[in-house]
Amino acid sequence: MRWIIASFTIIVIIVLASALMTIERSRLPAEIKFASSDVFTLDPQRMSYMQDLRISRSLFDGLCSHDSQTGLPTPGVASSWETSPDGKTWTFHLRPDARWTNGDPVTSVDFRNAWRRLLLPDTAADYSELLFPVQGARQFFAWRTNALTQYAAGKNHDAESANALWQLTLSTFDQLVGIRTPDPQTLVVELESPVPYWLDLCAFQTLAPIHQASLDKFTKIDPASGLLKSDPGWTKPGVLITNGPMKLVDWKYKRVMRLESNELYVGPNTPLATSVEVIPIEDANTAVLAYESGSIDWISDLTAEFRADLAESSRKWLDRHREEYELRIGAGASEDEALAALPAPDPALGERRDVHVLSAFGTDFWSFNCRALLSNGKVNPFADARVRRAFTLAVDKVRLTTSVTRLNEKVATTLVPRGSIDGYVSPAGLPFDISRAREEMAKAGWIDRTGDGIVENADGEPFPIVDMLYMTGNPRVKNIAIALASMWRDALGVNCELRGKDGKFAKEDLRRGNFMIARGGWYGDYADPTTFLDLAKTGNGNNDRAFSNARFDAMLEQAALELDPAKRFEILENAERLLVEEELPILPLCQYVTLYMYDPAKMRGIIRSPRLDQRLSLLRRVNEQSESSSP
Amino acid sequence: MTSFIIRRLLQLPLVLFAVVVVTFALIWLIPGNPMLQEGRQPPQEIVDAMNRQYQLDSPVRFFGGYLARVTGAGWVMGWNDAPFDLGPSMRNPDWTVNEIIGAGFPISATIGLGAIAIALVIGTIAGLVGGLRPGSWLDAGTQLIALIGISVPSFVTGSFLIVLFAAKFRVFPIAGWGTPAHAFLPMLTLSLPFAAYIARLLRFGLVEQMTTDHLRTARAKGLSRRQAAWRHALKNAFLPVLSFLGPATAVAMTGSFVVEKVFAVPGLGRHFVDAVLGKDITLVMGVVLVYAVLLIVLNLVVDVLYAWIDPRINLTSEGSR
Repeated sequence: MRWIIASFTIIVIIVLASALMTIERSRLPAEIKFASSDVFTLDPQRMSYMQDLRISRSLFDGLCSHDSQTGLPTPGVASSWETSPDGKTWTFHLRPDARWTNGDPVTSVDFRNAWRRLLLPDTAADYSELLFPVQGARQFFAWRTNALTQYAAGKNHDAESANALWQLTLSTFDQLVGIRTPDPQTLVVELESPVPYWLDLCAFQTLAPIHQASLDKFTKIDPASGLLKSDPGWTKPGVLITNGPMKLVDWKYKRVMRLESNELYVGPNTPLATSVEVIPIEDANTAVLAYESGSIDWISDLTAEFRADLAESSRKWLDRHREEYELRIGAGASEDEALAALPAPDPALGERRDVHVLSAFGTDFWSFNCRALLSNGKVNPFADARVRRAFTLAVDKVRLTTSVTRLNEKVATTLVPRGSIDGYVSPAGLPFDISRAREEMAKAGWIDRTGDGIVENADGEPFPIVDMLYMTGNPRVKNIAIALASMWRDALGVNCELRGKDGKFAKEDLRRGNFMIARGGWYGDYADPTTFLDLAKTGNGNNDRAFSNARFDAMLEQAALELDPAKRFEILENAERLLVEEELPILPLCQYVTLYMYDPAKMRGIIRSPRLDQRLSLLRRVNEQSESSSP
Repeated sequence: MTSFIIRRLLQLPLVLFAVVVVTFALIWLIPGNPMLQEGRQPPQEIVDAMNRQYQLDSPVRFFGGYLARVTGAGWVMGWNDAPFDLGPSMRNPDWTVNEIIGAGFPISATIGLGAIAIALVIGTIAGLVGGLRPGSWLDAGTQLIALIGISVPSFVTGSFLIVLFAAKFRVFPIAGWGTPAHAFLPMLTLSLPFAAYIARLLRFGLVEQMTTDHLRTARAKGLSRRQAAWRHALKNAFLPVLSFLGPATAVAMTGSFVVEKVFAVPGLGRHFVDAVLGKDITLVMGVVLVYAVLLIVLNLVVDVLYAWIDPRINLTSEGSR
């Protein structure tokens, strides 16, 4: 028996010791704590995930920023700028008082260095293409790629030759790429052709500056490949040097990240929050429980399966006080101020005020495979635009959003979210019209000739079973798929088969064209219709449908050359009309929504403009008592 | 005994090599590119650049470079700065695999060891209660509870415990990591299936032992039922529990994905599953290596303990287990 007790004691000692080792040193609780998806990187040039960009927006200030109400570009580190008459040359004037967290001034060279880094294939950055409109940028990317290939094939693989290649790369960049720094406060950028949304790109976080000297300590040139390799250490707290309104003070992998206001900060985004903690909670139900118990203040993406019920509770409460709410909004209160001033929800009636359904800058759609043949060699019925139109006309989108997703999303008939881009008028798109859908099917030769409820072609062959591909793991997607299948069966007389696959495998099927109809969706990157319309361009990497239409491609090219913004939008509108009224490579369902959970009487600073580009530095805690007693 | 231990330790590198090769082959064959988001595909030239930077363009070069880094051969040759470098994580460019394992393993190990400790206490008591009175209502009761403990999945018990102790009574924090209070509910959740298993093993072991000849002799010599069980039966009845404990401790220490997800604990189990889903090749291989070492070492410990408890077991002969 002794050994049992002995080994048991040993285990207990180890447990206590390791528990002690991992205990957090106590410090002041953060002003705001919020639940987020896992953060991948704080390296601005390598970012692509929304949650990373959200944190970066408070750590790094770019040339431009976004207005929190309108979403339009506003000054950032650049206090002013001018553009040449041909729209190709941009001159930015930087604030002289902008500082890095170590006290160094932020200069135009910091931007050039960051942009060069974004354009180096060595950085392995997702968003390098954002800078491809810059004169010579794409050429430089190709030059470096080619130089590295030659280096790898060559004989000399020592530190000296690798360094020589790097020096050559630096001088080639200066020669080829239209980015110049005449003085520390001036940045001149030359574009290949005018880019109407260029300022919006300058506000995108992957174009944020970097503090080269601190990065250099973690970078070396690999003699074997000639590649620049960065050690992951440079984004850690205490090492990372930033220029935004907040600074990084703690980051434990998938455990916690803490940002505090940056006292050296001078600029347009003055921080209101003193400290913000980001807590990754993967389990959606746990996140709700943590919110309910008060350990977090904001759930930045409410995905719990019962979220539609939660949203319903908030809607019920707001509906009861709609009149007072409208009055307060009319009197100039912000949405959150108005919500906080309403009478508190009555839990007995199942009411709450903390679930917010906000429209996002993205479209939920399904893709039609536009290839002539399916991946198994059979004829693809969806290669015929009439069939695609029929399937689109037969979908009752209002029923989808009210009784399937139950989130009352804005129904979409276009690819670009309607009203999301200033000055752009969306085409009408196709309505819900079953008889017109049947006509389109008949025109394509699909008629129920045998009276069995299934349509057949002229040879008497029934419509092939529709192969519907969707990604598993999200009940919303599956529910929509089931509803679509039943709508098509009832309206058009076709049988559908659902095929759920895990994300990576589904993506592989999409790439190979192994589907008839597949779940899709897209979030825009910048405020221009092309961020969506490019999806339908021939050969685009995200054109999973393999849609190819010469007229559409020509219109996009024509728009790229058009200098008058109004005319350009008109061309793009016509291009989109071709997509959503005639060709229909995609079937738009609704505008995406993001669900936030926060109590407006306790926390403020959430941005409700369609991009939902939240700034952590604007979040702040408000006192419930003083708010509710105010008139 | 010493030669046995040395021989087993010498086998370790061979087994690890086999594990690494198989893991690499499997994860490489999963479609997709760890560098890319699921919904978005950059232009091909950018994808090619990413593949080159992470050697994803050639499995041979990738694997060769990996072996050199991990074994320390690259360090000896002067290619790498440090030996036993498991490389950068492919999905989390700001972290190395060593850092991620260093952060996650102590947490998973704490929960795992705590769970095994709790399981031993609960399981032994329940097993003794049942084993000493087979057929009684106490026995039936503990067996029923044990059956439930084995069959109910941890995400159910975990969620139930959160709702009860964290949301309703607010005795423990709901989720996260940082204080001992954060550790208790995950430990308890993870321990229940182990406790149930231990209880069953011990109970059946005891019942069997009580009917053996030497126990009957002990009873005949005047020992009470309890004394006989305590002095003679328990030790042998514990042998199956012990052989279960080796792999069980390894499983518990490497982290349960479900428990870590439900309680938002940043442990190795969660990192591993995230890595597999994201095809984070280096992280998957790193964690598998840690798992393999742990499993082999703990099995060795159990074998040695076995010989110590039961001198009839001879480790040096073939087929010793």
